[in-house]
Amino acid sequence: MLHALLISNGLAGLEKYYVSNELVHYTTCLITKDFNPDLAPYDLLVIPNGSDHVAMLKIKDQVRAFLDAGKALVCCDGFFTAWVPGNQWVMDNSRRTQDVRYFPGPDRHGLLRNLDLAELNFSHGMSGWWACGYIQAAPGAEVLLADTWQRPVVVLDEVSTNGRMLLTASGPLADVTYAGRSDSALVTMYRNFLNLISTFSDPAHG
Amino acid sequence: MAKIGLIFNGVWSHYALATAPKYRDLYQLLYVHDLDAAAVRDLDALAIPFQSNQAVLTEKKALIYDFLRAGKKVFLEGDSSTAWLDAQWEDRPVNNYWWVTDPTKPPVSDTNYDHPVYQGLTPRQACWHTHGVYTRVPASAEIIQTNAEGDIITWQTHEHGGTLLATTLDPIVEHGVQQITHLDNYMDRLTEWLCGVRPEPTRLTIDAAAYGPGALV
Repeated sequence: MLHALLISNGLAGLEKYYVSNELVHYTTCLITKDFNPDLAPYDLLVIPNGSDHVAMLKIKDQVRAFLDAGKALVCCDGFFTAWVPGNQWVMDNSRRTQDVRYFPGPDRHGLLRNLDLAELNFSHGMSGWWACGYIQAAPGAEVLLADTWQRPVVVLDEVSTNGRMLLTASGPLADVTYAGRSDSALVTMYRNFLNLISTFSDPAHG
Repeated sequence: MAKIGLIFNGVWSHYALATAPKYRDLYQLLYVHDLDAAAVRDLDALAIPFQSNQAVLTEKKALIYDFLRAGKKVFLEGDSSTAWLDAQWEDRPVNNYWWVTDPTKPPVSDTNYDHPVYQGLTPRQACWHTHGVYTRVPASAEIIQTNAEGDIITWQTHEHGGTLLATTLDPIVEHGVQQITHLDNYMDRLTEWLCGVRPEPTRLTIDAAAYGPGALV
């Protein structure tokens, strides 16, 4: 069982998208003026869509230390401040959304396993709905998905720190599946990452 | 010199709009956790975007109403809380694709195009999607947009001195996101209504230097 700290920017409904389950238990941390969470008890730090990247910049050193301790980070948001070690998200609107398609990279850990890429490419026939901008990925980081112009939009970074980072170019992820439905692409990618870090985390927590 | 304070809780779409060359001279990012009266004293208007932190806005409630009492304008988009606003916002499913599946049924059915923000807009420019509805507004409110069920989408009131314009549209967030390409029309009229200056009639562009170590925070 992973223990995750879910950072909340006070937006309504966040807990509906990250629901504790057999893989992970979520603790929510609400950002306040004096935001300075203790990351030590957790295996995973989750920065969801709509997060506060001014607050995250204030704790960038703590995040770095957390990752150097072998822990994991998911950031599925537009990290416009420089708080993610080795990687930077940049907004861009110079390409037409109707031309956006995603292309898989090598994916040596199988994080795209069982993922229906068509779900990310199109919503009700519209493309370019999921991610915005792109990630300037760290040298040596794995580009799991690149866009039409070969710009990284999903990155797995195992080189910038001793830990692991799953980063999207603002494309939301989620950890909830409603009764009677199968996992969406957003959930599949996220849970594949949870399974990856569980594999490596279990001995440390054993 | 910026005339509009964009109350900001570190969300990237707010940041993308306020730092875009087209708007950056008119909008000033006001980090909500540091917001105080001195920060808004010289501004003409405040903009409160969708995806704001309603609990912190509630803490800053007096500042917002003092600003209105000074005869100034406040624009509020998306959701809100009864803890600081005398109106009942309710969530509804967001329909981003009505124009694909049934373009005859847009999320807004009636708009007062006499309002300065809406003058000259086409129906598509006046509504792309909504984030919920208002089921109760102040008795003093003028209704500007409603949906087919009669729920209120956009309203304004002068009862606090200045003008409070509230809508469940989200022009600031969506224009920052840039997945809808016609929102310059709405945002440029809104900006002019808020501060008296009409931005250049060009498409929003991004300044990559404002991202990363050069972020303007």
